[in-house]
Formats: sequence, C-alpha cells, structure tokens
Amino acid sequence: MSADLLQVLASAGKGKGTRSLLRVIILALIAGAAVSSRLFSVIRFESIIHEFDPWFNFRATKYLVANGFYKFWDWFDDRTWHPLGRVTGGTLYPGLMVTSGVIYHALRALTIPVDIRNICVLLAPGFSGLTAIAAYLLTNEMTPSSSAGLLAALFVGIAPGYISRSVAGSYDNEAIAIFLLVFTFYLWIKALKQGSMLWGALCALFYGYMVASWGGYAFITCLLPLHAFVLICMGRYSTRLYVAYTTWYALGTLASMQIPFVGFLPVKTSEHMPALGIFGFLQLLAFLDYVRSAIPSRQFQTFLWLFAGATFGLGLLGLVIATSAGFIAPWSGRFYSLWDTGYAKIHIPIIASVSEHQPTAWPAFFFDLNMLIWLFPVGVYLCFQELADEHVFIVVYALFGSYFAGVMVRLMLTLTPVVCVAAAIAVSTLLDAYLNAKSPNPEEVQALESSEGKRAVKSGLRSTSKPVVGVYGLWGKGMVVGAMVVYLLVFVLHCTWVTSNAYSSPSVVLASRLPDGSQHIIDDYREAYQWLRQNTREDAKIMSWWDYGYQIGGMADRPTLVDNNTWNNTHIATVGKAMSSREEVSYPIMRQHEVDYVLVVFGGLLGYSGDDINKFLWMVRIAEGIWPDEVSERAFFTPRGEYRVDAEATETMKNSLMYKMSYYNYNNLFPPGQAVDRMRGARLPEVGPTLNTLEEAFTSENWIIRIYKVKDLDNLGRDHASAAAFDRGHKKKKATKKRGPRLLRVE
Amino acid sequence: MRLLATVLSLVALLGAGPGGALAASAAAAGTKKSAEERFQLYHGKALSSAPIKLGDATYRELTAVPRDYAVAVLLTAMDSRYGCQLCREFQPEWGLLARSWTHGDKKGESRIVYATLDFTDGRDIFMSLGLQTAPVLYFFPPTVGPHAPASPEPIRYDFTGGAQAAEQVHSWIARHLPDRPHPPIRRPINWMRWIVTFVALSGGLTVSYVAWPYVLPVIQNRTVWAAVTLISILLFTSGHMFNHIRNVPYVAPDGRGGISYFAGGFQNQYGLETQIVAAMYGILALAGITLAIKVPRISDPKTQAVALFAWASVLFIVYSFLLSVFRRKNGGYPFSLPPFM
Repeated sequence: MSADLLQVLASAGKGKGTRSLLRVIILALIAGAAVSSRLFSVIRFESIIHEFDPWFNFRATKYLVANGFYKFWDWFDDRTWHPLGRVTGGTLYPGLMVTSGVIYHALRALTIPVDIRNICVLLAPGFSGLTAIAAYLLTNEMTPSSSAGLLAALFVGIAPGYISRSVAGSYDNEAIAIFLLVFTFYLWIKALKQGSMLWGALCALFYGYMVASWGGYAFITCLLPLHAFVLICMGRYSTRLYVAYTTWYALGTLASMQIPFVGFLPVKTSEHMPALGIFGFLQLLAFLDYVRSAIPSRQFQTFLWLFAGATFGLGLLGLVIATSAGFIAPWSGRFYSLWDTGYAKIHIPIIASVSEHQPTAWPAFFFDLNMLIWLFPVGVYLCFQELADEHVFIVVYALFGSYFAGVMVRLMLTLTPVVCVAAAIAVSTLLDAYLNAKSPNPEEVQALESSEGKRAVKSGLRSTSKPVVGVYGLWGKGMVVGAMVVYLLVFVLHCTWVTSNAYSSPSVVLASRLPDGSQHIIDDYREAYQWLRQNTREDAKIMSWWDYGYQIGGMADRPTLVDNNTWNNTHIATVGKAMSSREEVSYPIMRQHEVDYVLVVFGGLLGYSGDDINKFLWMVRIAEGIWPDEVSERAFFTPRGEYRVDAEATETMKNSLMYKMSYYNYNNLFPPGQAVDRMRGARLPEVGPTLNTLEEAFTSENWIIRIYKVKDLDNLGRDHASAAAFDRGHKKKKATKKRGPRLLRVE
Repeated sequence: MRLLATVLSLVALLGAGPGGALAASAAAAGTKKSAEERFQLYHGKALSSAPIKLGDATYRELTAVPRDYAVAVLLTAMDSRYGCQLCREFQPEWGLLARSWTHGDKKGESRIVYATLDFTDGRDIFMSLGLQTAPVLYFFPPTVGPHAPASPEPIRYDFTGGAQAAEQVHSWIARHLPDRPHPPIRRPINWMRWIVTFVALSGGLTVSYVAWPYVLPVIQNRTVWAAVTLISILLFTSGHMFNHIRNVPYVAPDGRGGISYFAGGFQNQYGLETQIVAAMYGILALAGITLAIKVPRISDPKTQAVALFAWASVLFIVYSFLLSVFRRKNGGYPFSLPPFM
C-alpha cells in the first residue's frame, strides 16, 4: 500500500520537463536560503560594514564610484601610511570594488536608485547564492545522481565555514572569491572532460577574474597543475588534458598579468612555477605521444618514457638552481609558512600575530562543518569507486584543502566547497540506495549471483567487486532514511545557530544582554570615530595600532600612520616602538611623524577581550624585530614570567605609553584602591599613571576607545615633565626667597 | 701610565664583589700584563682551541678592566649532575661560532675573545655573579680604546627562546661590535651525513629495482590509495597539525589525581583528544561507507538486515557521543541526540 503511494508520488516527477522545473525551483529556493541566512546582522543591527578590511574595501569602492575607473587604477592614497602614502591602485585586488561599481552603475542605468553602501553590504550574500549554483554544477560533473548537485548547493549555501566570511556587511575579497573558485573549478572539469578549448578559455577568464579578486588565487594556480601532474603519473595523459591545460595556462597567465598588483609575478616567483613546469612538461609529453604513435617499437617507447622522466628531473633541478641563484624569487613568507609551520613565528611576527593565521583545533572544524566533517571522507572514498579524471581532482583537492585548513584557520574557507561536494555525493548515494521503493526479489538475486558470480566485475575497489543487489526490508530503509533526515535537520539547526551566534556580529557594534534579557548595544567605536570626524582637523594624523587603520580611514576619514594593509613592517614597528617605550622616547617619534592624536582600545572597564593591552605583546615583538636593543619583550614579563598589569607589573610595562594611555585616570572611576581591570581580573595600583606629553581628548561611553592629543612643544621651552608637574601644582622649590616687604600694587 | 692602569684594574677588581682573596690573587696575576698583552695571549690560545676554557683566575684576568678588546663568555654547566639540557644543546653551536669567528679573524682585527666557563671550574664566579641558572652568555664590551661604548657593563644574552642557532648569537654579537670585521659562520661539511644519504639512496634504489614487480601492484592498488587518503584527511581534520605546531601535551592531569582526556575551552586540545576524535570520525565514515556501498551488495536478506541495523546504530550512537563531546568543549551548544544527551 505504502509502496504504491510512494510510486504515485515518484511518478509525479518523472517527466523530463517537470524535473527540470523542479530543479530550477529548488535551486532558486536554496539560493534564497543562502542569502537570507546571512542577513542576521542587518536585521539585528543595521546595514553596516563589518570588521576591519571591509572598511577599506568600502572606502575604495566609494572612491571608484566617485572618480571613475581610470583614476581608481592610478590612485595614490596620501591619507594612509603617513608620511609615506600608499600606491593603492597598484597594491590591491580590484575585482571586488569593480564588481560592486558595475552593479551600482547597472542599477543606476535601470533607474533603481540605490546607495553604494547597501550594494557593498549585500554583495557577499548575493554571491553566496551564485556559489550554491556553482557547487550544483560542479557536483553534477562528478556523479550521475541528480540529487547530489542539489544537496551540494544546499550544503554550500548554509555551511558555517563559508558563512563566516560572507555574512551581510562582510564586504571582503572572499565574498566573491569563493564563487569564482568553485566556478573556475567547474569550468576546469568541464574543459578537461570535453578537451574543449572554449571551456578552457572560459576557465582562464574566470581564473583571471579570481586573480583580480583575491590573493588566494594561488590555490588554483597550484591545484590545477597538481591535478594534471597526478593524472600524468597515473598514466592518464590525453589530448583532452593537453588542450584544457595549455588553454587555461596560456590565457589565464596573460589575464592574471593584467592586474598591476600581480604583474610579472607569474613568471618570477616560486608559487607560480609548478604551473609553468607542468605546462612545459605537457608540451614534451605531447611530442612524445606523437612520436610514439608514429614509431611502434617497444624499446623505443621505454626510451622515450625514460627520456621524459629525465627531462622532468632536470627541469626540477634547474628550477632549484635558478631559485638559489636568485633568478626566481623563493616562496614568499606567507606561502612558505604553510609548509614550514614554525617559520612565521620566528621570521614574520606580523603574519603570526593575526588570529586567523593560527592553526585549527578540531572543535573549529566541527563548528564550521558539523556532520559534513565525517561525511567528507565517505564522499572521497566514493570518488575512488570510479576514479575518473574529475574524481582525481576531488581527491587531490580534498587532501591539500584539509592540510591547509589544518595549518591555518582562515583556509577553512577553501576547504568548505570540496567538503560540501564530497558530503553531497555521500548523502545522495545513501539516499539513492535507501529511498528506492522497489525491493529486490531474493530468487532473482540468487539467479543473478550464480550467473554473474564467477566473472565478478573488475573494479578498482575491493568493496565494490560484488554487484549491487538493493535493500530488502522497508523498515531498514525507513531506519536509515529517518536517521539521515534527523542528521540533516540537526545540521540545519546547527548552521543557523552558529551563524546567528558566532558569525553575525559586525564587531564595530557590540551587543550584550542586560540582566533582564533585553539587548544592549555598545556603540563605542562609531561614537569615537564620529568624534574624530567632527572635532579634529581634516588632516589630523591619528596614530593607532594597525588593526584600526582601515576603520579610522573609513569611518573617521582621517589620515593614519599604519593600517591593515601591512606592507611596511618597519613603519608598523615604529608605531609599536612608540607604544611600548617610555614617553620621553615616544614623544620625538610622534613629533617626527606629525601625530596629532593617539587612539587606543581599552577593554578593562567592560571586559572586552580584543583590546590593545591584549595585543600589546605583538606590538612589542614586532618592534623588537627592528630595534632589538631598545625594545625587549622580556622586560614586559615579571621575573616569574607573567604578563601582569597590576601593582606587580614590571617598570617597563608601567612606563610604556600603551599602559599609561590605557589606565590613565582609570582609578578615578572607583573608590580609592578599588580600581579593577575586569578583562584581566587585576587590581590596579592606587595611584594611576601620569601622562606628560599627551592629554586626554576623548573617552567613549564604555571606555573602549580612548583618544589622546599629542601636546605641542611647551611655550616656555620647558620639557614636558616639568611643565606637567607645574600644572599639577608641584611648584619648583625656588632657590632664593623674595626679600623685602610685600608691596601692594597700585596702578 | 701602565702602572696607573693596573692599579685601577686592581681597585676595580677588589671592589667587584665577594671572594676578595681570590680576586686579589687573580688581580696579582693580572698586574703583570697590559690589556694588549692579555689580548695577544688569549687570542693566541683561542687560535689553537676556541672557545678557551676558563677557570676562576683566568676569568678574572680576561675580563679585568681596562680592556681594549671585547670578551664573550658562556657560563655553562655541562656536567651531567646538573642536568642542564639547554647547556648541552647550545654547546656545539657555541663552539662552532667561536671557532669559525676566531679562524676567520686570525689577526685579531675584530678584537674579541670567545671563552667558556664551566660551573665545575668557576663555582666562585657563578656565586659572585649571583647566577642561579645556566647557560648565561655575557658580552663584555671594551672599556677603553676607540670602540668602547658609553656603558662598560657586560650585556647578557637572552636565552628565552630555547637553544639558539649559532647564526642568531652571531648577529647579536655582530651588533655589539660595529665597524669591525664579522667573520661569517662556517658550518663544517657533514661528511657522515652525505655518506649515509648516498648509501641509503643507492640502497633504496636497488631495493626498489629488485622489489618493483612486488611493489607495483601495491602502488597501483586503488584500495591502498583510498586508505592513505582517508587516513590523511582524518588526521588533518581532527586537528593533528595544531598538535604539531603548538606541541600540546598528550594528556593532562585534571587536578583530582585522575587524567583529563579533553582540554577545556574551544581553542585547546590534547594529543589523545584528537586521536579519540579522529577515531570517532573514522568510525562514522566507515559506517557511512558500509551503509552506502556494502550493505546494498549483500545478497542474503538476513545478513543484510543484521548489517544494516548494526551499522546504522553505530552511526547514531557515535554521532550522539561526538555531539556530547563537542558540547563539553563549547559550553553553550544546544543540540544533542540520544543516548548521550
């Protein structure tokens, strides 16, 4: 009875037209779900740009929209990295800004008046819908099962690993780059399967777009040659591979060299060399293949393959020599630190200091992928079943993606698409096997076994040597399908919960709960930036740690010394030195850089963990890297090796500018001797620090942002310490007393 | 003039610290030689065996003021009784630095002497300097002459990062000796390693040539590759790289005499913990593979029913346990499945 019902239901989707229509509707719904699950922050807070880097992208987009493309291309920004400035047009990936600029002008042309800010805020959710469709296309290339693609689209749409970088307001390069990544891979598979130049050229086009958008393009640059290389090693060289690869490489490299920031890197640096090497190797193989077809001698063939192997080895040796001789730049630090995992901590503290460059602990994997994390190996195993060229790609991608994601939290993003594809293959295989209403007949199976049992299908995997029979009992099917539905439901709940709780905070605006459960918005950042915008000169230079550079540029519109584009380590170290030295040392540095205001973030009153005292050690470390004699990390630790801020803090710590600025006047908030830093749970000394060369200009409502004005030189030529002491009423003891009787002054 | 200098050094040494009698005798030895003579003497010694091994008296003589040369002294404790791991690790690097510097600068133009003082030879020096730990590397800048810095105080090298490579110490010393030649470090060619590599390589080639017919089926076996791939993926996704980079402990005591298998907090983990997690992922993946591929291929209905029930239950229970473990790591996590609620 129930089987009949199922069949009736199933036949509703039998017609080809109905199926395509259903598929389009489902895909549209998935894209809609992907977009809407990213809107938490817009609904809770407002349409606002998040975090740090997006503020720069937003500012650059505004510049592009206001001044046009060519001015944007040649943009020299004198309001950052004072006094050096930054050749912004030549040192950014313009893809993101140009994309939003195009959308903006297109909407204008359609007479839809829309604010550029709203385009920027909603760009990432919009592109996530496209990513879901790209994942659908990619998965359809992997398996004949049509449900796998839809599942992959769904997984990519709501997996937290991808949502983390693409919620509304997270206007960053990754917002469009993941779509381009997945779509480029789809085009590559398509080109490889068909050996088609057209698909190869399209692949190159989207690769070029990807290069224009995100530095992570190197992942594609390395993965495609690796895939080609593995195929060659498996003895699967074919003209399809030759056509697809050479088309992609030639056109893609040309396209990538059009970006000023990339320029000649594709022929000069090590991370691009595998692509070039495989390109050359393929030419050789193509030649040998041609010769082989012409001359059928067996010995000659062996000779040819040996020749190919030797050439490959020689090429590799040549590459090593050229690198050590300096013709080819060695691996850049960022890439090198992925292989030699201890490298960054020693040599490039500025990379190691960023929290998203830390290695990934296992809870982070589960947090970002939930059940996909254990379905992932299942899907990869299923790829081994058939192991066609495209399945090799999934295997290679899975291996390298999971390695990179394990080394760096941030690269979870590049792993997520392959996890979704593999998991979708696994789930669809399961559902296809257990959702089939037809049960096999035991007698037929016996007959089939006896006839086919002897000549077992020769497949690669041991587990698939027997023929598929099917599942007998309806209860068994119901059990597995029911459990799968439960897992999928938990997955959806998990994704929604993670997105809502972890990834939807703009970090510019903080939210907290009051005791009665109502939401309280902490808006100190914008309060302070607004104060800067309204109370300081247009060209007042603001010194802060580099994390806040983009925000100051974007929200307060004031020049900064350093910002999140960490191109000049020395300049950052200068700021670090000013922050970690005594006032007498810092003041000349600040004067030399024409600093007008200093901004620090202080979380002691509220218990806000992302403040400058917690980041302070990195400032010290980076400064120590440049001035090892003047700044020493050791001096900030007590003899017992503790990092303290209370009365037992070291003298260096107490005298550092950062400490003084953070705790200046802080004890006035509390009864005498009761001052407590709530973040670090430390009781502060009764007498707070004194500041001589700076004066407090502004402190936000919850003390998160404190702004100090750098004093001008003293009018009377005194040094600041004695001038400040005078102002506090500590008069200098005069050497001589006035003699004589007091006179009443009469005019 | 020379007399004045020696008198000055005598006064300085007498005032230097406790152990007066020894100081006096050392000073008495020091009175005989000028700074230049001392440098020539010790530089000559260093040429034959750098770094020089010092004792109490020679230490005081070498570091006596005034001196127009610099001294780098490593105070160490090599005897196994003291169990100084860092000393033993750093000793070869220090020897390498001292040798290559001294031999690169035979004429003594950089005017620096490398020396080592072991605790067993210089107990009193350690006491007078108030040293509790070893190794300690002191750099004594020259006190007179064109290169003398403003402060004659010896500078202490920071060993916080564990044993340092010779190159790092080299750059530290070079920084304190501006405007003078800095002979580079020459690491001797490790012949043994080359030979071992060569032998191993040729042995490996021979073995692979002989065993090739037997190895080839293994290399071409898809199941082997699938197993290798899956194991690596499980390792990476269960946080193995984190263990490798952060050197986390395998397990830790829980403070009540037992062992805690799971680290508290979202950003922490123990070695055993990741292995448990990897095992759980492995079981879940195995259950998934069996249900997807093997169970529909079982031709006997009864066997199939048993296998299906067994693997589906394993999947459900292990996933429930995984969720409960994750809940322990992440306090506010609201989802769970029976039986591990």
